[in-house]
Amino acid sequence: MHKYKSPLTLLILLHSAAALALPEMTITIRDHLFYPAEVIVPAGKKVKLIFINQDDTPEEIDSFELNREKVIFGNAQANVFIGPLEEGQYTFFGEYHPASAVGKVIAVSPETFDNAH
Amino acid sequence: MITRHAMLLVFSPMLVTTTATAGHKIISNNVVDKIYHPYVLPLEQEFEWRFMSRQNDDGNSLVQRLAYGRSINERVAVEVNLVGDRDQKDDFGLVSYELAARWMITEQGKYFADWGALFEIEKEVQRDAWEFTSGILVEKEFGRTSITGNYLVVYKFGNVVDNSFHSEFRMQYRYRFIPEIQPALELYTAEDFVGLGPSFMGIHRFDGQKQIKWEMGFIAGLNGDSKDHTLRASVEYEF
Repeated sequence: MHKYKSPLTLLILLHSAAALALPEMTITIRDHLFYPAEVIVPAGKKVKLIFINQDDTPEEIDSFELNREKVIFGNAQANVFIGPLEEGQYTFFGEYHPASAVGKVIAVSPETFDNAH
Repeated sequence: MITRHAMLLVFSPMLVTTTATAGHKIISNNVVDKIYHPYVLPLEQEFEWRFMSRQNDDGNSLVQRLAYGRSINERVAVEVNLVGDRDQKDDFGLVSYELAARWMITEQGKYFADWGALFEIEKEVQRDAWEFTSGILVEKEFGRTSITGNYLVVYKFGNVVDNSFHSEFRMQYRYRFIPEIQPALELYTAEDFVGLGPSFMGIHRFDGQKQIKWEMGFIAGLNGDSKDHTLRASVEYEF
């Protein structure tokens, strides 16, 4: 019997495939600062940023350049999916603490990324 | 590859709209309205004012909406609307109220496209006339640009109206130039209306989650009327 019984199943699997096995980067929020404040990601690929908020208060990640807004509740974690990005730098900040919570995503060529990791 | 996917995303709902509405002749006076994005942010509240002014051979219609909305969890936001309209005697007054809910089905950026759903129930103040709208919201990002599509099915019912279905499709192609200025092209279709025109939107952030968003668009009807254009605008305060 064929593994995929319906076109819908196949469609869902194809749709989900993009979210599987993405490069992942973890960023910790502590004392309203990002650790690390800069993350290097491969250009041309979707990337999953995992934000772990160790503060008691929520933070909202905001980036016009990345076209993302996401609330990370206190003592919780959440994922932000970005890209595929062109090579370059993309800033993000925490809306509740914009003076201190500032970070940057640096998208580099896949070769440069592989060499760095 | 991107172009083929974009074409599929854009034209599939349009074909469905055309098919679904064939045979109906319901007049839609206010097809041009907001184009909804499939995203919800928790801890967010908003006040919104919307304005639509349509000029065609039948005259000028004016609709304004005042809304208060808030997210109730990470995925769902609800909104209460008061809708004002200008009647045939040129008097402007409250004509209906509406309760709306937006559901963010998928995480932004996780899949090929982002999906959401919209549900609205509207009732006229003076008459037993209701309108229930449900729809699919989809958005696909291409670098600094994005395409947003809304496919809506509207059911009108009540003692003083003929029960009927119609569908609408709205699409926006937006370029994120700078936060304050984001030009776009918008398309609106319904059973007796096709409109296309430029728009722009912008956002200005104050403190924390406080920000103002604005939108303005000028949509020209392409359905053969000698004159048919709509000016739409909205201002949204989020906090």
